[in-house]
Amino acid sequence: MAISPDPNARSQELAQRLKVHFHFLADPDLAVTRRLGLVHPGGGEGGADVPRPTTIVIDRQGVVRWAAYADNVQIRPDSREVLRAVRAL
Amino acid sequence: MMQAMAIPPRFRARKLAILALVLAVGTVVAFGVLLQVWLIPLRPVVYLSALAVAVGIAVISVALWRGWLQVSALVVSALLLVLAAVFNFVLMRVPTGPSAFVVGAPAPDFTLPDATGAPVRLADFRGKKPVVLVFYRGYW
Repeated sequence: MAISPDPNARSQELAQRLKVHFHFLADPDLAVTRRLGLVHPGGGEGGADVPRPTTIVIDRQGVVRWAAYADNVQIRPDSREVLRAVRAL
Repeated sequence: MMQAMAIPPRFRARKLAILALVLAVGTVVAFGVLLQVWLIPLRPVVYLSALAVAVGIAVISVALWRGWLQVSALVVSALLLVLAAVFNFVLMRVPTGPSAFVVGAPAPDFTLPDATGAPVRLADFRGKKPVVLVFYRGYW
């Protein structure tokens, strides 16, 4: 599931463009993202708050098994790393 | 045409200065172009190294011949390297704070609407399937 402050229309467009089938969840006011401690204050355009780029792997029992937090906006975890974490469940 | 043996330092210095300028400016242009292309990850290591190499070439060219072209190549490439370093190490930093997700602990629950507006609750996946959550900054 991918979570962003984007409006639904934009997420639908993105899902179609990327041809992916996972859920795109909208958190327009970042209320949930903030509660989870994943906001980068003033990190967006014009000093707006944005999510910290974060990837979390949760197992079938609902336990967090793997987490990657960006410390640089430009860098994301390698998709192969995420796959490895999922396969290790 | 000049023979390899007979190339005076001034000409070699000019070639190196042009090479440094092309590499430095080309790196910045390539960065700007790649930024527009989808799904190509930005690699700070690549552009910082390219600019560092450009500065190195410019230093050699200035050492060979101290002309305006050589000095400009050094100034331009060094300036771009400094700007790129500030961009990467200062502007692009994300502060790290405590997260509600702790490896080994149960994930905190939340409910958010999906792209069709239907609410999706994380806890509904418990006992059914694993979940990968990706928090991203959104389109900009």
